[in-house]
Amino acid sequence: MQYSEKVLDHFMHPRNIGKMENPDASATEGSPACGDQVTVYLKVDDKDLTIKDISFLSYGCASNIATASMITDIAKGKTLEEAKKITWREAMEALDGLPPVKVHCSVLAADTLQTAISNYEIAHGLKEVPNFSKETILDELKKIIYPQVGEDIVSLKMVKYVGFTDGEVLIDLNIPSFDQWRGNIADEIREHLEKYPEVKDIQINM
Amino acid sequence: MKPGQIYMDNCITSRPAPEVLEAMRPYWEEKFWYPGSFVSTGEAINTELNSFKAVIANSLGAAPDEIHFTSGGTLANNIAIKGLAQANAKNGKHIICSVVDYPDILTNAAYLENLGFELSYLSADSEGFINLSELKASLRKDTIMVMTTIVNHVIGTIQPIAEIRQILDSADHNIYLHADAGQAYGKMPLNVDELGVDTMSVSAHKIHGPQGIGALYVRKGTKLGQSIHGVKRVDNLQTGGLNIALIAGFAKAVELSFANIKQTEAALRELSDYLIEKMEATIPQIELNGPRGAKRAPHNVNISIDYIEGEAITMMLDMYGITVATGSACASQGLQANYVLMAIGKNHVQSHGSMKFTLSRYNTKAEIDELVSRLAEISAELRKRSPLYNALQEK
Repeated sequence: MQYSEKVLDHFMHPRNIGKMENPDASATEGSPACGDQVTVYLKVDDKDLTIKDISFLSYGCASNIATASMITDIAKGKTLEEAKKITWREAMEALDGLPPVKVHCSVLAADTLQTAISNYEIAHGLKEVPNFSKETILDELKKIIYPQVGEDIVSLKMVKYVGFTDGEVLIDLNIPSFDQWRGNIADEIREHLEKYPEVKDIQINM
Repeated sequence: MKPGQIYMDNCITSRPAPEVLEAMRPYWEEKFWYPGSFVSTGEAINTELNSFKAVIANSLGAAPDEIHFTSGGTLANNIAIKGLAQANAKNGKHIICSVVDYPDILTNAAYLENLGFELSYLSADSEGFINLSELKASLRKDTIMVMTTIVNHVIGTIQPIAEIRQILDSADHNIYLHADAGQAYGKMPLNVDELGVDTMSVSAHKIHGPQGIGALYVRKGTKLGQSIHGVKRVDNLQTGGLNIALIAGFAKAVELSFANIKQTEAALRELSDYLIEKMEATIPQIELNGPRGAKRAPHNVNISIDYIEGEAITMMLDMYGITVATGSACASQGLQANYVLMAIGKNHVQSHGSMKFTLSRYNTKAEIDELVSRLAEISAELRKRSPLYNALQEK
């Protein structure tokens, strides 16, 4: 695997690693089935809403660990509003890039940070629990990376249609029948959407 | 540390023996002649080619004219499988293999299915042995062939080939048996008559021979349809040129491995037993995948290290100059958990955390000691980082 020096450094010597006792908020994303899972813990200053401390745990590959290390490093000391703007792309660039097939691992770390921030805000009455809608589905689809090129399926215009009625999600994708990643993408979409209690059924047409 | 300083991925490819390199040299230099010509240079090289063929044939209990050189195991598998299917299509369209077979067999199975053949995929038990009663029940009047893998490439399970042959012989018509011997050859005695195979593929570079050469055994009288079309100068089945230097190296590798094959097998088993014992004593919460003892190939060790992911383990070992393999989805080309481990009932965590060590005669106990001590260190470190392991500690 062609990893950059920075990826190897953050993998071998991760920053902010370890379980946090009494965090103000935390979040876990991913699952053992897809091969990676990340937990992010936050301590937040409740006066100026800055991230005082942050740490993570990772069950995942080298790029997963390295990205979580980098993203927690970037987030430390930032206000929640600033930290909300951190993207997987920023973390990936800070690591001097990742092989395309590994980009999806960096998305998980970024995702978990955002969920942890959101959990904090909900718990502290800073925001309402968001309503599940078509927008939520689209936001989730933006986190799904086409492994061949390392870009998300929405930017790549692979998503033709998204529908949501009575708990049923309908997604039309533009992926040819011979594409080797069809199965992976369908699995990942299901995994991203099944965590929402509002979702009763997911239909993916390719 | 140098990459691959401790090399334990011998099922992918193995270090060529120095004797093999030496044996090839004359054929890159003064004896570059082409076999199949009637002039003195061609005759001379033809004689040598036949002697090399005899070495491979001998190692399998076969006759020299039953051996066909190919560019490797995959070409041998393709010539045999496509050839048998084509030659027997008029007698039936049913073919049997198993869900744990080597990709050469499974991809050919899918190809034949597309052509209109009907495939049955036998299941395997928790140690990777194919279900023989299912085999018996699957046999049909139009079954033409069974394809199998003698030693499983992931977990080292040795399939009972002779028993499979007996079941096929109980049918009232002839059913061909093709076996991939890629992981078995040179690791244990193999006799084509005792096994009862009709065709069998072997490869040089997994037994310290050069890359790019293998052979197909075809039992006398077995007809194969033509897969490769070209000039039939030396071999009817594998038309075109032969690389005599690689063949010379292959023959030398076979001579070395088979000089005392029982001893070769015992030495490998001693190393793998030592590795299993040492890991089980040192690293908590691991489990061996595949069978223990004589039904496991002597060079294969496959373990699952719970709660951590194999690509990370492999990368860390690589940083210490130790080359091994993993069944993790993250290290696979298709980003899928290893199909053999999933087929024998392992879960995703066991598959993603599976590590494969395949040993050779060049490995030492000192290297195994180094591997296990690094692996223990790495497992402890990655478990400290793992949310799955931390959640378990809280319980």
